[in-house]
Amino acid sequence: MADEIRRLSEELARDPASPVYLQLGEALRRGGQLDLALKVALRGLERHPHEADAHDLLARIAVDRGELERAFDEWDMVRRIAPAHLGARKGMGYVLFKQGKYTEAQTYLSEASELDGEDETVATALAMVRVKLREAEGARGAQGARGAPGADPSTTSLEHIEHLEHLEHLSLFDEITVGGEHTALLLDATGLVMAGTYVTQDGRDVAQEIGAELSGVSDEARRAMRHLGLGDWSSLTVETDAAVVAMAPMRDDALLLVAASKAMPLGLVHRVLDRCAERATAWLKQGGA
Amino acid sequence: MKTNLTPIIAALTRQRGVRGSLLVDETDGVIIDATLHVGMKGPAFAALAASLYRKARLSADAAGLGGVTFLRLRATEGHVCAAGKNDMVLVIVADAHANIGLIRMEMLKALERVVL
Repeated sequence: MADEIRRLSEELARDPASPVYLQLGEALRRGGQLDLALKVALRGLERHPHEADAHDLLARIAVDRGELERAFDEWDMVRRIAPAHLGARKGMGYVLFKQGKYTEAQTYLSEASELDGEDETVATALAMVRVKLREAEGARGAQGARGAPGADPSTTSLEHIEHLEHLEHLSLFDEITVGGEHTALLLDATGLVMAGTYVTQDGRDVAQEIGAELSGVSDEARRAMRHLGLGDWSSLTVETDAAVVAMAPMRDDALLLVAASKAMPLGLVHRVLDRCAERATAWLKQGGA
Repeated sequence: MKTNLTPIIAALTRQRGVRGSLLVDETDGVIIDATLHVGMKGPAFAALAASLYRKARLSADAAGLGGVTFLRLRATEGHVCAAGKNDMVLVIVADAHANIGLIRMEMLKALERVVL
């Protein structure tokens, strides 16, 4: 990564008008050097103000910096410059999803799906949005049933909000697992899901099945390490034909599991695992709710 | 005793940070061939590594993720890596600071050359 950044920086220094700033900005973003990535993207935009990919890069950097509004505006700009830009629809859908605007998110992701029906990340994101919409619908239904004749409207409204808050565990890792490229689950000692989702392309949440099957592997890892004298295990990565699954032990014998597409570099999968572990640790410290 | 697999296994053990490499029968965990540094308990290691790989393979399959191509277990004092082919598992144990990227590549290459 460092070599690539050096090579791209030198190339850009030789020719400041080169479009290589897009690769450099992306490499810096992936490496977590967000301030530098932002600088490179902004300088690139000064020279190429109508370059859709430059606005797309700026939007992705903004997401990583937690600036969702800015990201949305940049992707909106991309959409104006390049109406058929897939990344802009995906990004806008993601921002709206993060903001809890599931119906609007579904609109943009459906448009993205129309642009490229083969894109797995769009299908996964769309499936997640539909799960959330169904959950919200279910919560409204439950509230409607409780709030039937004679109920105090203010009380039912509060219950409704509390009910939705109980669903927050599903999105514990959403900020880290950007764009549906990977997914994360937190399992308890018995393999039951505590947080996170694992949604298939057809919209089924298979977190429980995946968790139950894979949590047994960590027992085996623990047993092996005890006998081999290599100390405590800190991560287990399994590459399969379809995906890469990385696991890490958590407090109280809980297990964190991150699954990513095979196309994702292994190093990046481990970074995502580490970030999810930090998030899960903080969440468990707060009592896991 | 040397077999026609010994050069392949021995080459892996010569990688920096590798303490030992073994070719193990996945089903019963018995060593087919191995090159180990002094002090390593080969049979116990082979049985545990094969069991771990087998469990991972069966679990991944049950979870609909397909066959396992590579497995890496990281611990505070080292790594265990495994790659399988035709009911055999190629396993290495390495130091905590070993270059796992390189070892992974060499293991996958070595596995291609293993013919029984």
